[in-house]
Amino acid sequence: MKGYGPPFYVAEAFRGLRANSLVNLLAVGTITMAMLIVGVFLLVFLNLRGTVGEMSSRLEISVYLKDGITLQEREFLQARLKTEPGVRKVAFLPRAEALAIFRKELSGQESLLEGLGENPLPDSFEVGLDLKPGDAGRIESLADKFSSLPGVEDVSYGKQGAETVAVLFSLVLYGGVALAALLGVTVVFIISNSVRLALYSRGQEIELMQWIGATRGFIRGPFLFEGMMIAMLGSALGVVVLAAVFHALPRGAVVLFSRPYGLEFLSPAAIAGLIFGGGALGLTGAFISVEKFLE
Amino acid sequence: MIQLYKVTKQYEGVPALRDVSFAVDKGEFVFVTGPSGAGKTTLLKILFCAERADEGQIIIQGVNVFRIDRSGIPYLRRNMGFVFQDYKLLPHKTVFENIALALKVVGAPYGDIERKAYQVLKKVGLEAKRHLTPPKLSGGEQQRVAVARALVNEPRVLLADEPTGNLDPQSGQEIFRMFREVNLKGTTVIVATHDWETVRKMQRRIITMERGRVTDDGMSQRSRDAAPPPAPGTVSRP
Repeated sequence: MKGYGPPFYVAEAFRGLRANSLVNLLAVGTITMAMLIVGVFLLVFLNLRGTVGEMSSRLEISVYLKDGITLQEREFLQARLKTEPGVRKVAFLPRAEALAIFRKELSGQESLLEGLGENPLPDSFEVGLDLKPGDAGRIESLADKFSSLPGVEDVSYGKQGAETVAVLFSLVLYGGVALAALLGVTVVFIISNSVRLALYSRGQEIELMQWIGATRGFIRGPFLFEGMMIAMLGSALGVVVLAAVFHALPRGAVVLFSRPYGLEFLSPAAIAGLIFGGGALGLTGAFISVEKFLE
Repeated sequence: MIQLYKVTKQYEGVPALRDVSFAVDKGEFVFVTGPSGAGKTTLLKILFCAERADEGQIIIQGVNVFRIDRSGIPYLRRNMGFVFQDYKLLPHKTVFENIALALKVVGAPYGDIERKAYQVLKKVGLEAKRHLTPPKLSGGEQQRVAVARALVNEPRVLLADEPTGNLDPQSGQEIFRMFREVNLKGTTVIVATHDWETVRKMQRRIITMERGRVTDDGMSQRSRDAAPPPAPGTVSRP
């Protein structure tokens, strides 16, 4: 005769969940909290990654030209800049236009420019870059290269900004991974304890099942499903709470990430990852307890 | 069907079985008797693979028990029924559910579970009490449920350890009557018991044990009809 397979184990797992409802409820609650913390970090990480990506794509190097450069030299330099890998666009900015932009940026404080007399700004090329997040080193090497080209007076780029974003990105990435690992172990531990309690409360039944010819798989199956279901339920509730908090946040809070369309919630793939990842951790915790018990 | 050769078992240096050798044929009914501590329960546990012998050879239904790995034990047990002195029924499950569990663990189709459980309960006369939980039954009735559970998968061997130890004489007789019926249908039955009166009446093969050794192996009516059990230390021949 064949075994019953997953439908039987799921039905038995539900029976077990009902039998130890209080313990399981506590486990679900604890996992909800743990997964909520993981979810917050994931949310911050994914948004920050998006922000860094956008900032990187918006990064520009200003290449200032020497006075008296000929048109031919300027066109040659523009063509040369365009050939560089990682360069998305090269736009010429005449000194008069640069001053106009500067005036606009100083809107309300134009008096600062009154004593300048002649336009002090040089002609320049605005070199748009197309780099990956955390590629701050690449910007620096490009800037160095551009500064040595003939006809170039100086270069400038948002060095500090690029570096800060890269550091922040690494911090969230590594901190998030470390915290997720820690909380993952916590989830395994919680499920392991919860399943252990269920095992002890049904110890007599398990012993009897062994006496009457039950295989380890038959005994193990319902407990594995039970652990997995508790963890998945806890994870799903964690996502629900996170969504509720996210939508209750004042819109001003999203300025932190300075994305044009604001803070984004977790993608369906990330939500599925959280729930199924939680399920896998629950399965691991349950497996550890059942194996130890059956030994 | 069952062969033991020089089987030895110790618990922390204290011998529980010493050079136990005997064979049981298919369809035999065997009593294992002896005083407390003689090794009867250890012997049954070894036959049921609940304990592992330290030395010797054990062959059950053509399977060398020493060569069987952990995953093979459940399948060996499915061909054996075991009746315990303390019934080992699940108190929060109904009589029917207790029987159904034995069918579920062997993967019986759902459609068969109800029919088979009902049939076996009818056989032990408890079909009307199938919805009650064990604590609501008398000791004798609980043991009949335990017997029904042991028989529901139609095992080739039925092992019973002091099955009437907690029962009044009348209930005890009822249990032995059921064992005899099962045996008549071809199931090998091995019963460890103190109940010398029943052993004498039933006139079946008796293996007498004493301090872990088999001290006697023979037919009851020939050697000691109406006689008391052998005194400790004596060895008689069949």
